[in-house]
Amino acid sequence: MTTHPDATIYLVDDDAVVRGALAWLLRTRRLPSEPYESAEAFMAQASGWQREPARPSCVLLDVRMPGQSGLALFERLLALPWQAVLPVIFLSGHADVPTAVDAVKRGAFDFCEKPFSDNLLVDRVEQALARSAKAIAQRAQQRNMQQRLEGLTERERDVLRLVAAGLPNKLVADQLEISVRTVEVHRSRVFDKMDVKSAVELANALRLL
Amino acid sequence: MNAAAPAWPARARRWAAERADALRARRGSLWVALLLLVAVLLGVLVFLAGQFEEARDRAALERDATALASDIRAQLMRNVQTLQALHSSVPRAEDWEAPAGELLVAHRELMRLAWRSNGYRLLAERESPYLPSPDNASARAERPLPEVRQACDNARQLAGPAFSSSHIWPGDEGRGPALIAMCLPIGRAELRNGFLVATYSLAGVLSEFANKDLLRGRALSFLEADGKLLAALGQTPTGRETMAVRVLLDLPGYTLTLWLQAPLRPLGLFPNVLTAVVGLLSLALLLVLALLGRDMRLRQRAEFEVAEALAFRQAMENSLVTGLRARDMSGRISYANPAFCQMVGYGAEELMGSGLPAPWWPPERVDEYRQLHDQLLSGQAAPREGREWVFQRRDGTRFPVLVVEAPLIDAQGAQTGHLGAVLDITEQRRIEDQSRASLDRLQATARLTTVGEMASLLSHELNQPLAAIASYASGALNLLDDPPEDLSPAELRLAVERIGEQAERAGRVIKSVADFVRRREHSREALPPGDLVEAVAPLIGLQAKKLGIRVQIEVAPGLTPVRCDRTLIEQVLINLARNGMQAMPEGDPDATSGLRVLRIAVSAATVSASAPRGGTAFSVTDHGEGLSEAVQARLFTTFFTTKPEGMGLGLSLCRTVIEQHGGSLAFEPAQPRGTVFRFTLAAEPPSVSSAQ
Repeated sequence: MTTHPDATIYLVDDDAVVRGALAWLLRTRRLPSEPYESAEAFMAQASGWQREPARPSCVLLDVRMPGQSGLALFERLLALPWQAVLPVIFLSGHADVPTAVDAVKRGAFDFCEKPFSDNLLVDRVEQALARSAKAIAQRAQQRNMQQRLEGLTERERDVLRLVAAGLPNKLVADQLEISVRTVEVHRSRVFDKMDVKSAVELANALRLL
Repeated sequence: MNAAAPAWPARARRWAAERADALRARRGSLWVALLLLVAVLLGVLVFLAGQFEEARDRAALERDATALASDIRAQLMRNVQTLQALHSSVPRAEDWEAPAGELLVAHRELMRLAWRSNGYRLLAERESPYLPSPDNASARAERPLPEVRQACDNARQLAGPAFSSSHIWPGDEGRGPALIAMCLPIGRAELRNGFLVATYSLAGVLSEFANKDLLRGRALSFLEADGKLLAALGQTPTGRETMAVRVLLDLPGYTLTLWLQAPLRPLGLFPNVLTAVVGLLSLALLLVLALLGRDMRLRQRAEFEVAEALAFRQAMENSLVTGLRARDMSGRISYANPAFCQMVGYGAEELMGSGLPAPWWPPERVDEYRQLHDQLLSGQAAPREGREWVFQRRDGTRFPVLVVEAPLIDAQGAQTGHLGAVLDITEQRRIEDQSRASLDRLQATARLTTVGEMASLLSHELNQPLAAIASYASGALNLLDDPPEDLSPAELRLAVERIGEQAERAGRVIKSVADFVRRREHSREALPPGDLVEAVAPLIGLQAKKLGIRVQIEVAPGLTPVRCDRTLIEQVLINLARNGMQAMPEGDPDATSGLRVLRIAVSAATVSASAPRGGTAFSVTDHGEGLSEAVQARLFTTFFTTKPEGMGLGLSLCRTVIEQHGGSLAFEPAQPRGTVFRFTLAAEPPSVSSAQ
């Protein structure tokens, strides 16, 4: 089991005792957490973020809270472009189970029924953090690819598009009305700039975007 | 069919009216003919009777006239002998006058006596002393009148008396009385000694010789052959029609006509008693006929009305959905309408005369029903609202009915049986069951909703501390399993402290629930115990009726009010009653055992250790199979139940509620079987619990 000492776990629960208890529990598993007493408080913090969290993170969200409910907060999180980086685990009472199940179907990571078996919850938290970490890595790769694409000339981008579509050099030359030789030059430069070794690798990299 | 029904009476009425008109016209003409016939008969009868009367009168008159004529003739002949005696010895003229005078005094009819010689010379003469004026008669009598001479000639030839024709007293200018003379030859033929001429006054003859008895109101006259009136006696009343007969009075030498005239008897409408009787009888007959006709018409109308009423009744009976059946005093069916036959599935002719037990009584209820029936016959009034029975159709299916009985009283006022209206209440029962079921469902739902909400609230309230406790415990275990280098006992201590705090918090939640129940004490009110029972009676009654259980409620009079939460105590009563009824499913105990009774009793509680202040005791008794020892041991345990759908909360909640009210819920076996549940409510609320 990998630990994420650099991760952040956002605890959103109206009950201070539950927040305290969960924070203490997570700390015993060496997981740092940030408590929020309401959905509004967490949103205030999150809206201040310029960009996605750079470290693996997840949200433990109580379904039933005074004011804005956990569900409403989840709706707003779903609207974020980097939602995948921030998995949500719902904490529900017995009566809220159908609501929580519904939320899972719409993209929540999981739900735990109170009173929960705590170490099981922590296990799920770690799995969520792992997914978060993976999402972060993916997004980093995307950003890298984007930067490389932006470094290409216009002619190189044309060649890249056709090569990624699987056309041989000769056809690419016919389409662009340039010589095969010129295509080969462009192609090797695109491979260099995109840091790939073959057309297949190039197509896979582009698919991430 | 529906459309035709209203047209029927109108058509029938029109038809009846036309028929009645035709009947009336025919009856009218018959009456006229009958009247005519009777009138003609009466007319003929009266006419014939009149004729008969007249003929009889005439015959009588003729008889009388003949009698009169023979009387007169006989008298005249007797006079002849008397006159002959005057000359029995041949007297001298001087000696003749004295006996002649005596004779004239004795015979007023004689006017004069004359003795004439053979040559008609007057030898002696004597006149009647009754003559008004004996003036110059002798002078005229010197010579006999020609009529007298002729008579004497006749007499001489006959050698016997002879009468002259009538003539008038001479010298009176023809206005004198009519006379007739009789000439009697005196002496033997060879020694004729003249003639005795006796002159009769015809009027005198009539008045002296006529039998007066035969002459009442009649006129008797002498007429000439040519009809000229000579003399008359008596007069008929003037202005009256008369009837007359002529009789010839044959005298030697002359024939007179005797005329008897009698007034016609006035012809009445009824000439005699017979006619009157016949007429009266005819009239009576007519009257009787008229009365008979009238009576017949009335009878006909009554019959028509009765037939109409009968048809109407028949239609009504056939259209009824309510079954009707009548029984005589021995319990035999004397009438059953189609609806009843259809209800029980037997034909009307099969039912007629069938006795007890009725074929539609379910076999296991025969005893019970026979008892009810006997009560009915003994004159015990059946309940006006009817009694519920269970009937069995021919095919064996059962159905509940409502029977309303009424005695059948005949014209003499004696009871001849009873009539029952039978109403199939299957549908009604179904609806009742349905509404009861829905009521039950509703109550259960309401209860579940409350319980559900309570459970949801409780679980949320309890989940928070429980979650915290679990988290701290897990965390503590984590620390102990994999202690970090800087693990301080303080951190573990913190966790354990938190666990304690949260356990306490959970306890507080539980306590608040208990407080909630206690808060209901504020809604307590003082109520008469009877009201509590009364309020739940209908709800209990519904289920009892379905199970065939009688609910017996006994509330002792004069109970002091109890202070309680009305809703909770009513719920307790309902729960106990339901349990009691569920302990008595159909058939256990048997319907005939008389034990299908749920008894709810309220009385003043005796002061005892459990109820030091007295109060009111409630008891609910069933006669089910009772409670086994195993059940008894766990009876009040929460979530313990003997019912498949039960929650096991009923009795434990009941006990909680009663204890909240400062009482206790206890049970014991009932006699002869079953269980009694008792609880006591204090008259005053216990001060201790309210202080808490």
